[in-house]
Amino acid sequence: MAELASTRTRVETSSWRARLGSTPRRDTLLGAVTIVALLLLWELVYRLELMPRWAFPSPLQVVAAFYELGRSGVLFYNAGASVGRQITGVLLAAAFGVPVGLALGASPTIRAAFLPLCRMIYPIPGIAWIPLAILWFGIGFKSTVFVIFFTGIWPIIFNTMAGVQTLSGQYTDVARAYLAPRSLYTRRILIPGSLPFIIAGLRLTYGVGWRVIVGAEMISSIVGLGFMIDDARWQLRPDIMICGMITIAMIGWVSENWFFDWVERHTIERWGMKAMPG
Amino acid sequence: MSGPMVLIERLSKRYLTDDADILALADIDLNVGEGEFVSLLGPSGCGKSTLLKIVAGLIPASEGRIEIEGKPVTAPGPDRAVVFQDYALFPWMTVESNIEFGLEARGVPAPRRRQVSSELLRVIGLAEFGTKYPHHLSGGMKQRVALARALAVDPKILLMDEPFGALDAQTRSVLQEELLRIWRRYRKTVIFVTHSIEEAIYLSDRVIVMTARPGRVKADIAVAEERPRDLTSPGMGKLQRQVRAVLAEEIDRAAALEQADLVAAE
Repeated sequence: MAELASTRTRVETSSWRARLGSTPRRDTLLGAVTIVALLLLWELVYRLELMPRWAFPSPLQVVAAFYELGRSGVLFYNAGASVGRQITGVLLAAAFGVPVGLALGASPTIRAAFLPLCRMIYPIPGIAWIPLAILWFGIGFKSTVFVIFFTGIWPIIFNTMAGVQTLSGQYTDVARAYLAPRSLYTRRILIPGSLPFIIAGLRLTYGVGWRVIVGAEMISSIVGLGFMIDDARWQLRPDIMICGMITIAMIGWVSENWFFDWVERHTIERWGMKAMPG
Repeated sequence: MSGPMVLIERLSKRYLTDDADILALADIDLNVGEGEFVSLLGPSGCGKSTLLKIVAGLIPASEGRIEIEGKPVTAPGPDRAVVFQDYALFPWMTVESNIEFGLEARGVPAPRRRQVSSELLRVIGLAEFGTKYPHHLSGGMKQRVALARALAVDPKILLMDEPFGALDAQTRSVLQEELLRIWRRYRKTVIFVTHSIEEAIYLSDRVIVMTARPGRVKADIAVAEERPRDLTSPGMGKLQRQVRAVLAEEIDRAAALEQADLVAAE
């Protein structure tokens, strides 16, 4: 009886969905329509001069800025510098954060000793480290990387720790019953078993790093997308600012949807572990 | 005459928690001979899995003696392998890597490992599944792989913790046959935890019936029937009734204990 009722509901829902035409293609189209609408609104504001022209470029002017900066190589030069710092900072954060997270997750003693300290430093925004970083490392590559590293290390530490802590105790029993030495246990069980959490942590690390890099470059750099945006202020070139912002969005979007999805497809999705971190 | 494969004498296990001191096992005496298939049967919560884990060396006993071939058990050892209830396969390793895990832990070189795993994959009838991941397999196939992982390290004793509990009746009986075939082929000593009377008397040489908490050995029943056994034969029917009678009071007591726990918790 209950089964019958549920079947009928399902049929009704599906026909209702069919009538509305909720398909992936329709959803993509809706997303694109919204973006086009925003562009039109932007153009309208420009045409009606609701904002002063010197501070508010038209979409077409931004396209022209892309062309100009692309041709001269300025855009690629600055984007390359930012990406290089970002990758260095994230790699350092991962190289340091994953082992620390594993240790914190696996040992109650280490947790008791270091977790309070971590929780105290964690809320300090990455930007707040910039002046100190400049004093320590000077203007440029090192201080920017330091800021990305210090901002990005926390999500990877806390996520890796959570991954180890939620790993089924049964896997540890199997490792012990089959006499696995500590190194094999770490390499073959602890790390792959926590990988859904580690990848989620890396995504966050990458995201916060990319968000903080612009601020860091505005203050402590003479190259990079952040510098390019800030420098455009002195030239009264809002089109270059927006060009830089769109570049940041695109690079962030591509790495998010392309790189990390690719990593997930080749690891946890293949192992049937995708749903784990929830 | 040599001693038993597994010797357990006056063994007890106590769990100390913040507000309780729970006696899980009390005064267990049990000997298991080489090549013997022994089942531990009892109501849920009777400590049969705890006893198995103590034999495995995964948890220590509180009191008493436990020896394997005359040597005291202090930790897991190469003479024992465990098959866990819900398979406990590593989802991130292929089927063959799962089977080879114990060998990898012992530092066996990769070519030799692959040789062992491909032979075992044939034995368990999963020759084509070596490079698949566990989530592609059915429950029955997973438990076969878990059994192969145990056999790969060539243990003297197989410790099986309700290995077929999560399977449907059909798959379960297929795997029981397979286990007997493998047991005959490799001549292992088997300690098999179950809560199914039929399973216990169908598979084992001896059925150890345990009491509700604290777990004690209530009865040690030999199953003399020739294999292959037929559960519907008069001899097996009689045995089933006999075991059921012994177990029934313990199941009632276990239920009463559980109820008392619930009341106490409120």
